This record gives sequence, structure tokens and C-alpha cells, in this order.
Amino acid sequence: MANSNLPRRIIKETQRLLSEPAPGISASPSEDNMRYFNVMILGPSQSPYEGGVFKLELFLPEEYPMAAPKVRFLTKIYHPNIDKLGRICLDILKDKWSPALQIRTVLLSIQALLSAPNPDDPLSENIAKHWKSNEAEAVETAKEWTRLYASGA
Amino acid sequence: MEIIPIIVEDDAKTCNSIVSIDLTHSPPPKPKQIADNMVVDSPEFPVKRTITSTGGSRISTTQMIKEEEAEEGKDCYVGNDNYNSAKKPRISFSEYLVATNANVLSEKDPQVLNFVKKEAVDISEVESEPVLDVEPISVFNAVKTVVKSEKIDGSGTGFTVNPVHVKRENDTVDEKPKLVKPVSVFNAVKFEKIDESGTGFTVNPVHVKKENVTVDEKPKLVKPISSVPSSVYGSNISKKDSNLGKKGQRVVEEKKVSLEGIENGDFKEEPDWLLVGRTAITGLSTTKGRKLEDNEIVHFAFPNGEIKTKSSYWANSRGAAAACGIVRFSTKRSGEIGRLPMEWSKCLIPLVNSKKVKVLGRCVAAPVNLSMMQEIMLYISFYIHHSIFTEDGNCSWKLDSPSNIDTTIYPLLTLFKLLKKSPFQKAEFTPEELDSRKRALNFENELNAAASVLTRAKGQKGGQPLLLEPNKDAQVLTESSLNKLVGAADMYNLEEMDPPTTLTCDLRPYQKQALYWMTESEKGVDVEKAEETLHPCWAAYRICDERATAIYVNIFSGEATTKFPKATQMARGGILADAMGLGKTVMTISLILARPHQGIRENEDETESDEKNETYETNMSKRPQGGTLIICPMALLSQWKDELETHSEPNSISVFVHYGGDRSTDPRVIAEPTVVLTTYGVLSASYKSHGENSIFQKVDWYRVVLDEAHTIKSSRSQCAQAAFALSSYCRWCLTGTPLQNNLEDLYSLLCFLHVEPWCNWAWWNKLIQKPYENGDKRGLKLVKAILRPLMLRRTKDTKDKEGRPILVLPPTDIQIIECEQSEAEHDFYDALFRRSKVQFDQFVAQGKVLHNYANILELLLRLRQCCNHPFLVMSRGDSQQFSDLNKLARRFLDNNLDSSTPNPSKAYIEEVVNDLKKGENTECPICLESADDPVLTPCAHRMCRECLLSSWRSLTHGLCPICRQNLRKTDLITCPSESKFRVDVEKNWKESSKVLKLLECLDNIRRKGCGEKSIVFSQWTSFLDLLEIPLKSRKIGFLRFDGSLSQKNREKTLKEFSETSDKMVLLMSLKAGGVGLNLTAASNVFLMDPWWNPAVEEQAIMRIHRIGQKRTVCVRRFIVKDTVEERMQQVQARKQRMIAGALTDEEVRSARLEELKMLFR
Repeated sequence: MANSNLPRRIIKETQRLLSEPAPGISASPSEDNMRYFNVMILGPSQSPYEGGVFKLELFLPEEYPMAAPKVRFLTKIYHPNIDKLGRICLDILKDKWSPALQIRTVLLSIQALLSAPNPDDPLSENIAKHWKSNEAEAVETAKEWTRLYASGA
Repeated sequence: MEIIPIIVEDDAKTCNSIVSIDLTHSPPPKPKQIADNMVVDSPEFPVKRTITSTGGSRISTTQMIKEEEAEEGKDCYVGNDNYNSAKKPRISFSEYLVATNANVLSEKDPQVLNFVKKEAVDISEVESEPVLDVEPISVFNAVKTVVKSEKIDGSGTGFTVNPVHVKRENDTVDEKPKLVKPVSVFNAVKFEKIDESGTGFTVNPVHVKKENVTVDEKPKLVKPISSVPSSVYGSNISKKDSNLGKKGQRVVEEKKVSLEGIENGDFKEEPDWLLVGRTAITGLSTTKGRKLEDNEIVHFAFPNGEIKTKSSYWANSRGAAAACGIVRFSTKRSGEIGRLPMEWSKCLIPLVNSKKVKVLGRCVAAPVNLSMMQEIMLYISFYIHHSIFTEDGNCSWKLDSPSNIDTTIYPLLTLFKLLKKSPFQKAEFTPEELDSRKRALNFENELNAAASVLTRAKGQKGGQPLLLEPNKDAQVLTESSLNKLVGAADMYNLEEMDPPTTLTCDLRPYQKQALYWMTESEKGVDVEKAEETLHPCWAAYRICDERATAIYVNIFSGEATTKFPKATQMARGGILADAMGLGKTVMTISLILARPHQGIRENEDETESDEKNETYETNMSKRPQGGTLIICPMALLSQWKDELETHSEPNSISVFVHYGGDRSTDPRVIAEPTVVLTTYGVLSASYKSHGENSIFQKVDWYRVVLDEAHTIKSSRSQCAQAAFALSSYCRWCLTGTPLQNNLEDLYSLLCFLHVEPWCNWAWWNKLIQKPYENGDKRGLKLVKAILRPLMLRRTKDTKDKEGRPILVLPPTDIQIIECEQSEAEHDFYDALFRRSKVQFDQFVAQGKVLHNYANILELLLRLRQCCNHPFLVMSRGDSQQFSDLNKLARRFLDNNLDSSTPNPSKAYIEEVVNDLKKGENTECPICLESADDPVLTPCAHRMCRECLLSSWRSLTHGLCPICRQNLRKTDLITCPSESKFRVDVEKNWKESSKVLKLLECLDNIRRKGCGEKSIVFSQWTSFLDLLEIPLKSRKIGFLRFDGSLSQKNREKTLKEFSETSDKMVLLMSLKAGGVGLNLTAASNVFLMDPWWNPAVEEQAIMRIHRIGQKRTVCVRRFIVKDTVEERMQQVQARKQRMIAGALTDEEVRSARLEELKMLFR
């Protein structure tokens, strides 16, 4: 039923995502719900997440594209803007959403967030504190977590 | 949501530690035989029915059985009635039954008879022989108790008890182990176990006490408690150390009531508790030994339903859950005796935990010597607390079920069922009726046929839409299938009601009927009987206590009340679902005029009591009282306003349009007028930004009317949610299509109307949606039953009492005009077709047809457009002159100079303008289609007007989706529409065969000279653009109506079309003119291109063929021979057949493929 009234925009976006995927990102819709995407993001190079494969889930709500997609990390990640439930603190997913943004742009933004953690606007207080007080150590932890949780897949 | 790994890890640690402690303290293994015993008693084996009420249980040792049999033998001979009656004034069971006015027990019940027969014997035996427990049994008992608790504890079960108590007991054992004598060691072990387990066993204090007594008495000869003089207790206590003493004292206090031993007095009459009923229940013993007397009062222990989270990690969770569902009973003297059967436990636990139900019971037939799993006949009285009757006289009581909310089994109803109480007034709808397959159902064949019309949700799982066009209208039901589905009565025997004098037009008889029906519906469901009619969802029960007349239980929600649930408490209002063109608007206006009721509430003289009204009344003082709120699609706003004004006497009502620019946010402003008009868009935007505090939600409306109510068919949409949240006394849905695609559409309407219980998703899903999806016809039958009182639906074929059609409209004349392409046209089409076919065949070869759905639709679109006019798809030429584009460029650059806001660079603007000049139509960044009616923002971004405006929360301003710059609607620049065409169409104009045919028809009409007007429909505005050229050159006056028109201009255009005589043709886009419009000024309809779904065409024709139409309506459909259009007709017919049959996912997929192949043949 979720698929019966799939807007053209979603169909188009999906086709483009599949035919020309963004580098380091793969997103494919679920079999039974075309609004639900399984996403994989490769950890950007020169970031503590390099070498990791991060799984995410992405859901396009009924109002999409007038409302932001819902995205969450499924893979554990040590990042000041991502909490332990995988929720992501990113303005374009909240109040700065614009219908001109797309799944692709959202995922690219998330990839960028991995390259540039922002401990000043944290979602995870502890990690952010860690990041601010001893960045080198925090980066080490992030690398460690990447090895532990994001390398298997 | 998944549990995140961190937590799991932490838990694992905790879990381990618990386990390890448990292991170190684990007791030595128990003898196997005992363990077996326990298995039988463990919750996994709740009842063992094979055990007779008097015989020994099969799990007892042979020795025990022998003993029991011996004693039983004695029973038969040792009996002294005189002694018995003289010593104690006890009544026999049968007397007892009479005395307690118990009519619940069936005499035919063999078990009961058995007990009644045995009862006298039992009593005499008990009385004549003071109990002398022999040591082995007593010790055995103790051991058993210990083992039992361990067992239970191991499986995670637990009595709920006072943890403080247990603790103290434990301390004693630790400090002075030597003081405690053998038997009590077992006791101690037991408590130790309890403590470890952490499950907080509550042991009845009386129980503990008894053990103490045993300790101090000679262990080998335990006297029956009843014979222990009270002084013994005192001395016991004094002998003990301080710890024990404290505990003892406490125990004595609690024991005082029953110092005499067997507690068998009458239950006190408590004014607060009303007797519901009494019944005999067979409990099962969980202990052994002689512990129970006839007529002895038993106490029930109810688990409180909370499983400690800690324990659930290591305990068998199933066992834990089972233990939560066990009601145990004990006597004050002997402690735990047994447990109630599961079916009783299940319903009693939530009831008792709610503190509104009390259970008192006594044993009526105790087996002489209790063994495990023996049946014990209890006689139990159920009381219900008076508070549910008296709290404000209208309290409704609903159990907060901790289990999932989807449950449809309610404890109170179960209790009534178990008590064999049947309602003296049954609910009209019952779940059983719907659940049981036994019920004979006679369906009209018609219904069967209709059932398959709706596309099943089941069949839609396959990724893509079922039909070719992923268009919302694609699955619209045709009117006839809708009639079959929801039923359109052929004849209504409704009274007619004279319209109010303030109505300035005459109503037709069927409209007067509607007025009557609507008026009555607003008063209640059935006006004469509503007061006395029980709400169809409620059943009435009588309880034994005469102080309460009846108790009403909502069989769908489990709510209980003593206040008569009147049928009037149902939704006021309904669904006016008359087919298009019967004048729903006028009927509604007459209703508003007849019952403006602003500020005056009917419930002032009625004693309304349901909760909603309660809040409604209490809020009255604070919240502004509104009149009628009408919510309609934007296109109908002006029509509503016009009709309201023309059909009502001047000054009889005030109409306020809450739409557009500067809308007030003061609820008092919109509460003032009699009628407030607004659109769904405004409603949901307001709800989106302000939620419950939006201006509409702040007003208590008298009446809310949803026009084209199927707009809210998706119950989860913002729009529907906003509509549900409106507070109103009456609610109306106006729609010609209460069901559009799916049965679920109706659910949303019922939600809005607050129709119980169907606005509860659990019920709707269980009784309607699921059965329907599974092909069970009863789902639909129920829908019809629900709708019958709620919906008024007449069609143009509905007959009045005399059998005449209620509405006589001029006939329609529908013809298909086949056009033959000219040679040049055909060549062009053929080339395009071959190119498309190559591409399509490629997809087929790759097996990727369905993956390239959008691409294929694009191919088809081109072909279809080509049938209309080759220009629509022709490649671009450079001959266009865009004089206004330079102006546009200048405007941008000017802006750049004097504006302080960051503006796009000159280079960028030049690029954009160049693009425009070239006619390059870029993709809209929001819908990703090539922009339809594109606008240019001051920041030089291009997108569809529609997309941009719908991304704004406000109607007048918002952010640019690309650069987030603030924009005002007035700043937007319409891109030159000529850019749609890639050739200079005017210079090179040439009619296509279709256009020629149309012009022929128009000429013919003009030549007739009777002033007939025509409407030309196309789905492409660009084709309408093309049509303007020959119309202009032939001097045929025309008007244009499409999505780009502002609301104001729409009104103006329609008015001009109907009132002037020089504008004979209206060029109309389907999307803009699909709903609600009244176009009766015209009598010729030209459908230029076939739609995928005939229902959409039907709707368009209805705009013209409706009340007020005085001429024969001529409908002409244009089809180009030997093209995709012709094959679309075939697909159309095929689709009708396909929808009618139930197809599996796979079949639908292959059918879709077939369909596409058919088009490219």
C-alpha cells in the first residue's frame, strides 16, 4: 500500500540513485516499501572513519519532499553529532530542510559530517566533551570503533 | 528500534552477576520424586483435569493415596448430624445456595451435584474428628513447600508479598540459627531462597505464624490451629528473641480476627461494594494436607502484574508471565491452598488491580485431605465498587490495560461471560457475530461483485502502482462500482422538510428529504428513539445488587458505566454522499439556514454526559463558540461563497472567507460569522505550524462541513489529522465518492465523524479491513451496516416514492470521434513510434520493463501528445522572439544594483536568461519534472509555481528552496510560456487532424446558432495553448481555465463564461476543472485526449451534466485511429476486467507487462 501512490519524484530519485550512485554511497529501496532505503556510506578518507562501512536507514515520510527524510545510523559510530541510537544532528534534516534537497544530497551531507565532526553542536554530550578535551584520543576511539563495528560488513 | 549494543553489553554484565550469585547459593539437589511433583504444579501445567475431586492425585505417593482412601472410607461411615448441627450453626451447601440467592450454579452441572451430595458427609467428618495431623505428612508438607518455592523461583514465578517481612524473617535466621527448630529450618531455607531470587515472595503473615506455632509445639503432634488457645500465642512470643517477638506481635495483630481458627463467618455487608454475582468455581489445590474446612473463607492473592525487570533477564520469561496470571487463594489459618482456574485468573487480575472489583470467597466443598492438584469447590462473590456509579453520575470506567492496546478482549466482559450473565440488552454490533463463521450471511450477488471492485491492498504490494499512470486519479472507482460497494438506496422513504424561509431558492423534493435527514442526524441518530435506544456498541447487564439497575459495557472498548449510553451520543452528522450534481451544496446551505445555532447549544437542554460533551461544556466559557466551518478545495471557495450569498436572504447569515494574504490569528474573528469558509490547505498549514493551538482548533464550532471530504481519505496525512482535531458539535462530510481507491478511505471519514468504535483503528482493522483484505465478505457487509444510518446517498437514478427519478436531467449524447491522421502526421507519428518501440523492446529484452516504468511512461506520453498535435513533441527551432526576456534580464540586473540582499551574479543571471531564450526548460528541483508553469525567483532560480508555493508554510511568502532567501509571492516572475514550444507555432501553424475535427464540431455548433457553449478538456495545458491559435484566427471567443489562474481569476473566468455571449468556448485543463465546478452554462463537452481511467472522464462530464443543465449534453471523445490512443481504449477495457478479478502480485506484474506490450504493438 505504501507503494501505490509513490510520487514521481521518489521514483525518479530512486532511479537516479541506482543508475548514478554518489561515490562512497549506496542507497537502495527496500523490496516491500519503496519509501524505505538501506544505505551504506563509506567512511571518508582522512577521517577517523576511513575504511569503515556504515549502514544507515532512510525513510521518506508521507510529506516528502515537503518534509525531510528520516535518517539514522544503524552501525555504531563514535561521533559528536551522532548519538548512541544513531540519530544524526544535522540542520538540513531538521529546520533547514528544503524540498530542493534530495536523498543524494542528504547522504552526501552526512558523509561530509563524518569528515568534519562538529563538537560545538553536539548530540552526544560525552563524545563531544571527549572531542574537545582531547581530540587525538577521541579520534583514536572513533578509529577503534570504526575497526570494531564498521569493518565487518 | 533496536537496542543499541552498549546497553546490551551492560545488561549482559548484570545478567551474569545475577546468575553467578544464584549459582553459588543454589541449594543441594532435591529428591527426584519431589521434583516431579513440582513439575506438575508449575505454571506450565496449570490444570490437570483428570484428577477427581475426591480421589487422590496421580502424582502423590502410593502411601498417600492409601491414606487418603482409608480416610475417605471413614468419611462414609463416620457421620453424626446431631453433633454437627449442635456444635456449629453452619449451613449446608444447598442451604447456603438458597441463602446467598445463588442462581448462578446450574443444578445440572454434574460437579455441583457431586459436591452437594458429598457436602453433608464432609462436614460431619470434619466436625466429629478433630484433626490430628501425623508427623510424616506435616514434615512432608514443609519440605514440599520449600521445594515448591524454589521451583517457582527458578522458573521466575513469584508470589507478591511484603518484602520487608521476608527480610526480617531472613535476619532472624542468620543471627540465631540455633534457636530455630527443625521444621522452621525448612522455613528458613525457604525464605533464604526467596531472598536470593529477588522476586519478592510475599508470604502471608498468617502462614509464617503458623510455622512458628509449629516450631514451638511438639513437632510430632501438631494440633489443629483451631484448638490452640489464644494464650499459647502470647507465650510463644514471649519465648522468642526480640526479632521474632516483633514479628510475632505483628502477626498476632493480623491474626486477631480469626483467632477462633476457621474463618467462616458471614461477609460483612459493605455499602461501597455492590454485588455483581456469585458463582461456584473449582480451584485446584497447590498444597497438601488437611488445611481446609467447608465454609471456610479463602483469601485471594492477586499478582500486581508487574514483573521486575531484573528477574526477567535470568528467569524463564514465559514462566514469569504465567506466574503473573495466577490467582492463588489461602486461608488465614493454613496459608496457601490453591489457585483459581486460568480463565478466571486472567479476567480477575486486571479487574481487582483496578481496585474497582473485589472478590470474596469461601470453600464450599473441601476435600477431606487435601492433595496436590485436587479440585476444591469455592463459592465466590464478585463485588463492584460503587464509585463507578456515583462519580459525577457519569463516570465511565475503562481499565488501563497494560498489555498492547490492540487487544479486543476485555476483562469485565469476560467476567460477565464466566458468570453466565448475558446482557438483557445486547449491543447491535458484536464482535462475536463478526468473528464466528457460523452466522448465516446472505449477500446479494451484487455485493460479491462489488467486493472485488476495490483493489485489494494485498494486491498492491508489488512496488509499482497497479495502473499505468502513476496518477492519483488512476484508481478512482467508477460511480457504478461505488454504488455497489457502499450501496445507494434506490428509494428513500424520508420525510420532506420545508426549507427555512431565509432560503431564497426552491428545493426539490429529494433535497427536502436530505434537509430532514440532516436535521435529524444533527439531533441524534434516530430522533424519536434515540433517547431510549441503547448505543449500538454498548451492552446492558444486570448485576445482583438491587441498588444498581444496570451496568453498561462497551463491548468494543471495554468501557463500563452505569449511565445509560444513549444512541444520541453517537456522532452528530454524517456523510452526505449524493452523487455529483444533485446539489449537495444547496442542501448544506439549507441546513445551515435552518439550524444556524450559533452560540446556542442543543445540549443545554439535553443532559449530555459523554466525555467529549463534558469537555465541550466545561470549555464553553473559555473558548469562543463558532458557527459553521466549511472546508473545501481552493477551487470551490468562491462557488461556496456565491451560493451562500445567492441562496440566502440578505443579512440572514454572515459569511467570512478565511483565506489568502493577511489572515487573522484571533479565533474570535472566525467565531463571529455564521459561516466561515476555508480551504484544506489553510487548515493543514495552520495545524502544521500551530498544532492544537491553531486558530481553527481554538474555536468550538457548531458544525464542521468537509466539502469533497475524500480529500482527507489518507487518515495519517496532515490534512486529515487537522480535520480530526477540530472541536465541533456536528460534523458533516460531503462527497460524491466516499470511497476512492481503498476501503481505508472510509476509515478516515469515520474518524472525522467520531463514529465509535470504527474510528478506533484496532476495531476497524480487525473487523473490516482484515476480513475485507482476506476476501471475507462480512467486512463489506459491516461497512454497509455502519453506513446505513450515517450516510445518505442518492444517484441520478434514484427513484422517489412514486417511482419517478428524483432528478430529471436532459440526456447525454456520447460519441467517439475517430480521426484519421494526414500522411505527414502519420509519418511523424510512425517515426516516433518506431523509435519508442526500439527503446521499449530493449527494456523487454533486458527484463527491465518495470524498472523503467517512468521512462516508458515518458515514451507513451510523447506518443499520446503526438496524437494531439505533432508540435507538442517537435524539436526546437531558434526562430522564437522573446522580446520580454530582455526586459526580464534588465529587471534582474536592476535589482542587483539597489538591493542589499545577496543577489546572484550577473553571469549567472545572463546564463539563466539565455537558457530561457533558448527555450530550455530545466528540471524543477522539487518535482524533478520539466517545470510546468515555471516561475523565476528574484534569486534567479526556476521551478514549478505549484511546487514552490506548496513548499511554503504561508500563502504569501517563504524561502527559496535553493538558496533559502526570503521570497514574496509577488516577487515571482512567470517564465514566458511560449518557451514551451520549440517551434514558432504561430508562424508555422498547421492543424492536426484532431484539431481539425474539433474545429469542425465548433463550427457546426456556431452555425446552429442556438448559443450553445462548449468546454474543451485536455490534460496538457500546452495543447490548450496550441488550440488558442486557430480559435483566435477563426474569431471564436474563448476563455482559458487552468492551474495557473489565481483564485480570483478563476472566479472571474467562470463568471464571464456563463454570463457573456461572446465567449463560446472554455479551454480547460482536467486537473484544474476536475472537481466541484459547476459548468452548466455549457452543453458541449470535448474530451481531446483519452484518460487512463474512465472515472476521471466521467467526473469531468458531471461538471456539465448536473442540476441546472437544460440542454442535451453532447460529449465528444477524440481518438486517433491506429495509434496508441486506440490501444489505450483496449487497455482501458482490459483494466476494468482486471480490477474486477482478484489477482495475485505476480499476476498483476505480468498483467502490467502485457499491458505495456499491448501499447507498443
